[in-house]
Amino acid sequence: MLPDVVVIGGGIVGCACAYYLSREGVRVCLVEKGTIASGTSRAGQSHIVLWEEPDINLQLEKASRDLYEELSEELPFDIEYRRTGSMAIVENPADWEAFARTVRSLQARGLNCQLLQNDDLIRLEPNLAPDLAGGAFFPEDAQVNPILTTLALAQAARERGADIRLFTEVTGIALSDHRVAAVETTAGRIPTARVVDAAGVWSAAIGKMVGVDIPVIPRRGHIIVTEPVPENLIHCKIILAAGYMQTLGATTGVALSANIQQTRSGNLLLGSSRDFAGFDRSVNPAVIQAQAARNLRFLPALADIHVIRTYAGLRPYSPDLVPIIGEADSVKGFYIATGHEGAGITMGPITGKLISEIITGKAPTVPLEPLSLRRFSQRQEED
Amino acid sequence: MSPEPEDEVIICRCEEVSRKEILEAIAEGARTVNEVKMRTRAGMGLCQGKTCRRLVSRILAEQTGQPMGEIAPATFRPPVRPVPIGVLASKDDEGQSDAS
Repeated sequence: MLPDVVVIGGGIVGCACAYYLSREGVRVCLVEKGTIASGTSRAGQSHIVLWEEPDINLQLEKASRDLYEELSEELPFDIEYRRTGSMAIVENPADWEAFARTVRSLQARGLNCQLLQNDDLIRLEPNLAPDLAGGAFFPEDAQVNPILTTLALAQAARERGADIRLFTEVTGIALSDHRVAAVETTAGRIPTARVVDAAGVWSAAIGKMVGVDIPVIPRRGHIIVTEPVPENLIHCKIILAAGYMQTLGATTGVALSANIQQTRSGNLLLGSSRDFAGFDRSVNPAVIQAQAARNLRFLPALADIHVIRTYAGLRPYSPDLVPIIGEADSVKGFYIATGHEGAGITMGPITGKLISEIITGKAPTVPLEPLSLRRFSQRQEED
Repeated sequence: MSPEPEDEVIICRCEEVSRKEILEAIAEGARTVNEVKMRTRAGMGLCQGKTCRRLVSRILAEQTGQPMGEIAPATFRPPVRPVPIGVLASKDDEGQSDAS
């Protein structure tokens, strides 16, 4: 039987699309050039945070976290989801006022969070450096194991009839009268009227096959993994430097921040770096050294803890840091779900749900216009 | 099928992953060492798979009928030996060791 939809990409976004579509009874075929979660989805940390701007992202993050609450119950195995909350910490007193304004603005828009003065912070997290300016606690935030989540979504989709083909690379997309007609792969042709481009850092190359210009490029990030550490080293399992938000907007050099997370297995995942290095996924030792130093500045107790592994991955960077979700204007049946940068794990579930809502003609959970591809060309016209 | 005693054997000592868990991952569709690693944590511990990666390859070969040489090996990640963060973070230490 021919698939109604071919999803390209076996990362968290593609697997979430396959899951939510197959739940609606849509016949899905997912093609992946490697194995499930073999690219960006296995190269990140563990956080689901609800306070990354702009407003449309806040809506996506909240809706996706709510879906995680359901997924942690309905997926076929444990995805290590837990509502940990997260803590943002501010290094310099000079940055405190601007940070406090941001937190108050989030509160005014209905986000549950609270400012922490230095003494509150040290009382909650006595191992943090004693000279930090303060921070904030975000109780709505959560943690998950991204690899297990992606595998579980794929398995649940398969149980609902999705056909998942690994080691199958897309080589072309055939059109007929500006409509999708088939997907060409290294394992043969798959006739279909609808394609979802969930290829992440490779999504622009897929778009090119049908003449759709998707402005997504790879942005490298490094992660340091430590040996398991005692649970009382940090009480909140996601602690990140507030300066992290500024690194998102950096367009040159290596933007560094501290991001300390303890996973269910007890290991620490230490982020984060951002740089543009094409498709190079190799680890740069100089970045690892600087990243280790940055994390040590906030948590001096790290000094004696052993690093067991480092890795680098590529985030699908969209120029305005908002994902691109929706059908292309110029090619009927070509749907795009990409550009999540570092928020693919956070926003994966809502992205899959939205794609399923668009394809089945249901009312979208989140407004689609700010997520459209055409926003980029409209802005150019306005300029 | 009742579990064989040999299935209780620990394959990854660092993460305490048994042969039985490896077999389950293969039954769920894992065909490469990385896929087994992602499902079971075998090879994610302190030694980073120095002991178990060949054992996992061998089980994959025996279960799937593929020759050992065709099983995709696990990714090697730096640093090959555990290093304290205080040492990793310190530029000065590196400079001193270069000079000595």
